[in-house]
Amino acid sequence: MRSAGPEGAAGRTVSRMAAVEPAATPGGDRGSADVAALIPLVRRIVASRVPDPATADDLVQETLTRVLAAAGRVEPGMLEPYAIVTARNVVTSMWRDQDRQRRHQHRVVDLRPSEAPDEGVLAREDRAAVSEALTRLSDRERATLLAHEVAGQDTRSLAAELGSTAGAVAAQLNRTRARLRVEYLLVSERVEPPTERCRPVLLAISSGDRRRQREVDAARHLLECDLCARLSEPLVGRGRSRDDAVRVAVRVDADVVAARQAAREIATRLGFSATDVTLIATAVSEIARNIVRFADSGEVVVTELHEPRTGISFVARDAGPGIPDVDQALQDGYSTYRGLGLGLPGARRLMDEFAVVSETGRGTTVTMTKWRGEA
Amino acid sequence: MNGGPRLFSILRQGPYLIASIHTALDDSQLVRFQQDLVERIGSDRARGVVIDVAALDVLDSFASRTLRDIGEMARLRGAVTVIVGIQPDVAFAMVELGMDTGRVVTALDLEEGLAELDTYAAAPPAPRR
Repeated sequence: MRSAGPEGAAGRTVSRMAAVEPAATPGGDRGSADVAALIPLVRRIVASRVPDPATADDLVQETLTRVLAAAGRVEPGMLEPYAIVTARNVVTSMWRDQDRQRRHQHRVVDLRPSEAPDEGVLAREDRAAVSEALTRLSDRERATLLAHEVAGQDTRSLAAELGSTAGAVAAQLNRTRARLRVEYLLVSERVEPPTERCRPVLLAISSGDRRRQREVDAARHLLECDLCARLSEPLVGRGRSRDDAVRVAVRVDADVVAARQAAREIATRLGFSATDVTLIATAVSEIARNIVRFADSGEVVVTELHEPRTGISFVARDAGPGIPDVDQALQDGYSTYRGLGLGLPGARRLMDEFAVVSETGRGTTVTMTKWRGEA
Repeated sequence: MNGGPRLFSILRQGPYLIASIHTALDDSQLVRFQQDLVERIGSDRARGVVIDVAALDVLDSFASRTLRDIGEMARLRGAVTVIVGIQPDVAFAMVELGMDTGRVVTALDLEEGLAELDTYAAAPPAPRR
């Protein structure tokens, strides 16, 4: 940990009113001469209300700045009354500020934790580390991430710009965030990974991708490499909490693709066969489409199951109009939207367990599970 | 919205159109694909269409229906449609789902699909006279 140094303390001295040099303020020739003539008047008005000479000086400066800024807009003969009113206003607003401060002082004083002397420096180092980490991403990755996180652009419009799909952009964003976390840790620790295996391992841990972690033999590397063992600590916690349940919001067509791709990814990681993965993705596609078609929005939650066997389970929830007759909806060929009528019955055939609970006017919940066959 | 340029491509090859889907499409993109393709059949005066669906991750009920509709619309516009590149896992899922794949002609890959179109061009099937 570095010591604070003088600049840490300097940042904390706060002057309540910035001193303004009238000479530096832009204004017309006529304006500045006229305003200069008003100085004794303003000084008298302020001094009669504010006893403290230093504060009075500040307020005079403040008043003159405002008058000077407005000089161009004020009619020639009216500058003097304008200055008088401004001086009174400036004084009043100071009183009001002081009063407000007095009334609220009890709130600030005790609640505020005492600021550590190195806090400002640490925050600055943190920012520097993040921006340094950002420069280590590729241009395209950085541009997409910033557009999404900073400018708030959604994945759909990003996908349209990049000629990709929303699901693919979301996946790319996840990979970029994973990389950013790794680079941030490396920058803030000021280390370069000692072996060329370190980065891929950290990346696999950061993204929470267990299949990739197996491929790069991450667990073994963490035992061998002290640096990675230390750096990966905050990353491991993240990955684990994300793995157990993944939630995909479903509102538009593109979300259906995102939901089935999430299902595909997790099922693959759990060791389902390629055929089963496609069956699962197809079933998820059907139930996610039902959300888009019949309800305004909903979600698909993917959960990994490890007991009694390895499996994957989905809960598709919406707050739509509900299904009046569930038994009928589960029959082949029953369709309300020119589909094939295969949505629910088809998904049921593809999965091992399937249940629909629906209440008219309240929404529908579809729960389905697929167990992994013994390979 | 410019969903067109990269999500799928429709290329002309002699009297045929080769339509390739490059990535997983959502429902509205599939509809857009259908519209573009049916339009191109007219503007290019195509006699046959090969649709390569190898890149589609799933062929669920909506995608199957859309492909079936394309085949039917193309037929009404005087072109034969051949679907190629259905992956084995996808085929398995389609059967399990209980999909009625209708009368759409399929072939293993692009080469087979073009050969199939040639046989149709040489000896048009009875219904088309």
